[in-house]
Amino acid sequence: MKRQIIEQLNMQDITPEDIGDDQPLFVEGLGLDSIDALELIVLLQQHYKIKLSNADDGPKVFRSVRTMAEYIMAHQAQNA
Amino acid sequence: MDRGLPLGCPTGVTETQTALTTVSMQFYIRSSGNISPQNTFGQVPFLAEAVVSGPGKFSCLEPDYRQYIDAKMIRRMSRIIKMGVAAAQECLKAAGLQMPDAIITGTAYGCLEDTGLFLTKMVEQQEELLTPTAFIQSTHNTVGAQIALMLQCHNYNNTFVHRGFSFESALLDAAMLLGERPASQILVGGLDEITGYSHELLSRLGLYKGAGSRGSAGLFSGQSSGTIGGEGACFFVVTGSRREGDWASVDAMTTFYKPDSMQTTCRYVDSFLDSQGLAPADIDLVITGRNGDFRGDEIYRHLLKDVLGNPCHIPYKHLCGEYPTSTAFAIWLAARILQSGSVPAAAGTGPAKTIRRVLVYNHYHNIHHSLFMLTAC
Repeated sequence: MKRQIIEQLNMQDITPEDIGDDQPLFVEGLGLDSIDALELIVLLQQHYKIKLSNADDGPKVFRSVRTMAEYIMAHQAQNA
Repeated sequence: MDRGLPLGCPTGVTETQTALTTVSMQFYIRSSGNISPQNTFGQVPFLAEAVVSGPGKFSCLEPDYRQYIDAKMIRRMSRIIKMGVAAAQECLKAAGLQMPDAIITGTAYGCLEDTGLFLTKMVEQQEELLTPTAFIQSTHNTVGAQIALMLQCHNYNNTFVHRGFSFESALLDAAMLLGERPASQILVGGLDEITGYSHELLSRLGLYKGAGSRGSAGLFSGQSSGTIGGEGACFFVVTGSRREGDWASVDAMTTFYKPDSMQTTCRYVDSFLDSQGLAPADIDLVITGRNGDFRGDEIYRHLLKDVLGNPCHIPYKHLCGEYPTSTAFAIWLAARILQSGSVPAAAGTGPAKTIRRVLVYNHYHNIHHSLFMLTAC
């Protein structure tokens, strides 16, 4: 997933190892912004067929790589 | 209303219903930042050596953008945005200017790479799941907006998209602003990129010479159709208030659209010189937009011989290729020649005397014609 984020956001000079599992993605940490949030929503749809229906869930889901992974796994378990 | 223009602006030259309108003004080129297929960016000698292209297209020599653009911003920028922003930054730095009074850009194609990316994804993904970045960055005014964002500049900001008159319109807008406030310092530039898609499409329309051509080195040899595709991002700081060290003065400019005959073109050029009270003998050098396509080059040949009396002349598209805003490169070349007083060997052969006055004449597909008169400061 870290590799997918790097590719989707064209993050040059950053490797998957540079991104901590619990590192905040927005503002501090990776410093992502609102446009990146849209890119991450597209990433979830493209790669995991997950449509984020409730915008209020965004800050919680995209807090870190770990929270994204947990959201994806929960969604997949729900639809298994 | 008297707006206090430096030399009275605009001055109409009325002859017939389709008469030429020459904008007579005087403003000064203070600095430039130029990313082109030549070594023109940064503190480099003036065209010390000509860079030649292979057949196909003439791509820009690009700097390390990380020196000019924040890493967090650079990841979203396509090539033309990086070229434009870096050229603008270099231009402002050379002028010692932190905040321009206006930012004006001219571009025909805009951010073509992002447009192509966005449209391709629309097709491939059945108009669903489109990423926002390419869409947001694909608009023509992205470069002007990015420069303003980086500078936190809330001053006048405009982008002109008029095919072969895009840069001319931007420069005219700058001239009019300077007419109102001569002490202003305006950032104005012309930029266009050539991408794989655009080159392929324009090649199909017969605009470019084939794969068997000799590239820029053989652009003017033989009588063949087509030219070589080019690109560039060239910015200037211009002002109505002259200062020591300014590169050159732009005294007049005009454009005319789809002249109905060679005679009309000749008459317009003649009229342009008349409006400045100049005879052909007063011009030290003519820079023409010859591009190696015999159909369009015939106009330059005719004009140089029959109207201008075979003056000393050089082309410029063997240095940058053909693109709709190439006159920005031509103005850069003219200003640098006036600054140095002579023509570098890479550009061609100039007169033996010091060059004080340069006429730039270009036409884009015999549709968009433009004339500029520049003098040394």
